[in-house]
Amino acid sequence: MTQEVQDDDPVDALLREHFDGPVPDAGFSARVMQRVPCRRRKGWPASAAALVGLLAGAAGCFASLARWPALDLERWYATGGHWSGSAIALAGAMAGLTLLTWWWGIAEADDH
Amino acid sequence: MTDSAAEARIDRTLVARAVLDGDRGAFEQLLRRHQGMVRAQLRRLLQGNDALADDLAQETFLTAWRKLDQFRGDARFSTWLYRIAYTCFIDAVRKSPALPCEPMETDLERLPAPPLQVDLRLDVERAMRKLSDAEQAVLLHCVQLGLSHDEAAYVLAMPLGTVKTHALRGKAKLRAWLAAWNGAGTEEQT
Repeated sequence: MTQEVQDDDPVDALLREHFDGPVPDAGFSARVMQRVPCRRRKGWPASAAALVGLLAGAAGCFASLARWPALDLERWYATGGHWSGSAIALAGAMAGLTLLTWWWGIAEADDH
Repeated sequence: MTDSAAEARIDRTLVARAVLDGDRGAFEQLLRRHQGMVRAQLRRLLQGNDALADDLAQETFLTAWRKLDQFRGDARFSTWLYRIAYTCFIDAVRKSPALPCEPMETDLERLPAPPLQVDLRLDVERAMRKLSDAEQAVLLHCVQLGLSHDEAAYVLAMPLGTVKTHALRGKAKLRAWLAAWNGAGTEEQT
């Protein structure tokens, strides 16, 4: 990008002349560096922990919902894998919420 | 290679080191290279509230450190910093109504012609403060900080045409208000 300055404009010259320019450091940079946190590296331990957490959550959900009448897994097994409409709606809602939470977690992690 | 291009290349190298290696030293160099102008920008926007300007400058650099991997190099690093600083300034103004706000349009016409015995600097300051916030911001970034109209539009999140309009109007007002100094300035130079 080029600088669009008209050097012959007296107002431009006046404004530049009366601009103080860069402020001397006077310890500012050192104060800021004291507050700069260490950068967290997003390596395999974080990914592994996320995967373990995801699997543990899924297992927990399955264990708590296995005997819930709306899902009726015993009948699902008995009828060869056909779910009722309400069970499909419930599973869809849970999947949607899970994906939403997952996306929100990633967005927050990026911001911080 | 021009100085500006060389400076931009140094900034990009330092950003890459800070992002890829987590090199705090590289970030400190970026901080030392740009703190002066960012603080000058905020001091001017806050019209002399130097303490708050420095607080916002600190917030600007901490935000820059957090979001450094989002710097793509499309704009100059200094322009990217100015944008973060301006966003911090706008957020602070929203939180605190006591900070600089736009003067009434009627006040603009009441500015008396500057008497010759008063220091020119004071009159320039006074005339700048009589401009609208948008005109002040555009002239600060385009003239005093030396950004192009495109860069100012990016920093101020304004359409390019609006930036050009504010620049023209602001200069026209200043030219009219400071006309009395024109002859004096010419005499001093000769």
